[in-house]
Amino acid sequence: MSSFRRKTTSKSSSVPTGTRVSPGSTSTIVTSTGIPSLDDILGGGLPLSCSLLVLAPDAHSAYGELVQKYFVAQGLAAGQRICVIDSHAKDFLAECMWTPTGTLGQTAAADEEEDERKDEGDAKIKIAWRYEQMKQFRTTVPTSPQSAEDYCRVFDLTCRVPESVLATARKNGQIIELDVSSGFDSGPRKILGDLAGILADDAKETTSPKPLRVCIPSLGSFQWGDVSTQEICQFLHGLRTLLRRYPHACASVSLPPHLCLESWGGSGWIQKLGWLSDASITLSAFTADPSLSAMFSSHHGFVHIHSLPSPHTLLPSSDKFSTLRGLSSSGENNLAFKCMRKRFVIETLHLDLEGGVGDRRTTPATNTLVLESAVHTHGATPSSAADGSEASTKGGAAVEVRIEQLEAAIDTVTVTEPKQEQPESAFKKSKAKKKVAFHSDRPDLYDF
Amino acid sequence: MSSASFPPARLPLPRELLLITDELQSPADFLLFRGVFAHLKDTKNARCVVASVSGDETIWRAMAGKMSVNYAQCLASQRLVYLDAMAHADVGAMSPSLVSLFRALQDTLDAQLSDPDAPTLLVLDDIAALEWMGVSELEVSRFARAIYALCRKTNAALILRHHVVTPGEPDDLLRHLLQLCTYHLDVFPLSSGRSGAVHGQIALHTGPGVAGSHKLITRTAALQYRLTDSGAVFFDRGTGGGVL
Repeated sequence: MSSFRRKTTSKSSSVPTGTRVSPGSTSTIVTSTGIPSLDDILGGGLPLSCSLLVLAPDAHSAYGELVQKYFVAQGLAAGQRICVIDSHAKDFLAECMWTPTGTLGQTAAADEEEDERKDEGDAKIKIAWRYEQMKQFRTTVPTSPQSAEDYCRVFDLTCRVPESVLATARKNGQIIELDVSSGFDSGPRKILGDLAGILADDAKETTSPKPLRVCIPSLGSFQWGDVSTQEICQFLHGLRTLLRRYPHACASVSLPPHLCLESWGGSGWIQKLGWLSDASITLSAFTADPSLSAMFSSHHGFVHIHSLPSPHTLLPSSDKFSTLRGLSSSGENNLAFKCMRKRFVIETLHLDLEGGVGDRRTTPATNTLVLESAVHTHGATPSSAADGSEASTKGGAAVEVRIEQLEAAIDTVTVTEPKQEQPESAFKKSKAKKKVAFHSDRPDLYDF
Repeated sequence: MSSASFPPARLPLPRELLLITDELQSPADFLLFRGVFAHLKDTKNARCVVASVSGDETIWRAMAGKMSVNYAQCLASQRLVYLDAMAHADVGAMSPSLVSLFRALQDTLDAQLSDPDAPTLLVLDDIAALEWMGVSELEVSRFARAIYALCRKTNAALILRHHVVTPGEPDDLLRHLLQLCTYHLDVFPLSSGRSGAVHGQIALHTGPGVAGSHKLITRTAALQYRLTDSGAVFFDRGTGGGVL
């Protein structure tokens, strides 16, 4: 037997359910947001005692709410306690995604297989020997391995959380619902007071209470009454102070779209929000800007990182350990998100091949195909152009309106003219090879 | 100023105000930790009062361990006093006032005066958050002026930290603080975004009407720094110094 023994930490057993020790600092315990790629950006997960603020300024989509639902679903699946602060908490909970029926490992594997099958077409391309051994290029982090399934489950957006799960969770006291708009003295201050009461009760009962996830799907929406920027700032500040005092809880907060804009909060509003929460990111969707969605057709929006959690260290653990941000090797990567049928992912954003063209042009160049088709139709089109009336009577798809016929005829003339020439030029090209010669006796030095 | 001699020793001196401004992408926490713990390690009877608006004590405790300062012992011997500023400032009131916070700081500093020779440092972290949470700009700037006057009376040095949220367009509070300060440490991020090797840049300016004894650093020739687990490494721009 080897004399070397692997050091095992005794702490690993004492970590509460659904959490793990942060890779950056042993005193920090992190918990998953339910999205592996977001966990990666946060440096392993959201640390307990920290708050995460997700801003989604686009009014036509609800990506901020989606992240909150992942956060809640992960808490439910991991057996942690959840506190939802909203007037429609019941509906919100019922809309959460869930793990697909059947064993988790199988579905994850099936998903990956599907992805692989998609890539098969690309795999057929012959790769130069020196690049063949390289790992396949990845734009995001893989879903959690089976050993870590309890930490971050694989959720399927096509599945809803079963009623029975919610009912059992309610029965066990796993879910706490705080109504925002109850009574006259409602508002951010009262909510903070209620939350402080809940957290204090937890701390009184046991010395190491179960982790509590506080989820606020839309802080400052109409249910909260007429809130000002100062009240939002006070609430976020107060929430963070509470979480620090009771380090078994963590919070995820979203603002309604119109509050995520500097036009509402004044200049520097996003920066202020970033200072007042431990982690803050913006998911700015492309839906409002068609040119962006055309340019980045495979993504649904940009991810901007404002601040990252580092409760016990000077440097956020994300800087060292995040694969997606890639700071350990060079500058920070650009990030974008996409919401597929089954899951939400954050990926590194790259320009597509050939500087921003959406489709891959690894197949034979398309212009050769066009030329071939032009050769085939060469004989037929001029006749229809010359005597359009005859063609319309013979052709199956006859057009009744005569003026349009004429216009169509003119169009075809203009279109077909270059087509007639193209095959010849292509023929010439293939025959004559380019020559470059140098003539010293001529005024133009190069002869092609 | 070269990277080797940064940050300059004895900055700020007693009765001086050092203003530290930072931005979200380049927080200046490391300068506060360094300032406080270097001050405590400097002389045996050095004293320090930290009043924090939005920070928490956990990170101070954790960083003290990394910078080899016995935090618990410092607290017990009253060499270090940590004050939660929000416990003394009721920002939720109709007309929030910072008088009670001033009184609390005054009492704490007076208590430190038992040893008049002891060099005392007062750190007020995050004065900007007070304004964001509803305290009027006038009240905050009056408070800053009163605190500075208190420090001059008690022969203490003062460090104020202010967050800049609109880079390039100083707000009224920042203008006021710039008028007040003796030195201004300006921490700002790289214009090209986050980098793995360089976390930000530092410039040192002097306040109005101060014949500075320290060599200043302009923004165009700013020093760069990289954060480590227990502090920061400073180096000149470019690849010099064998850092990059």
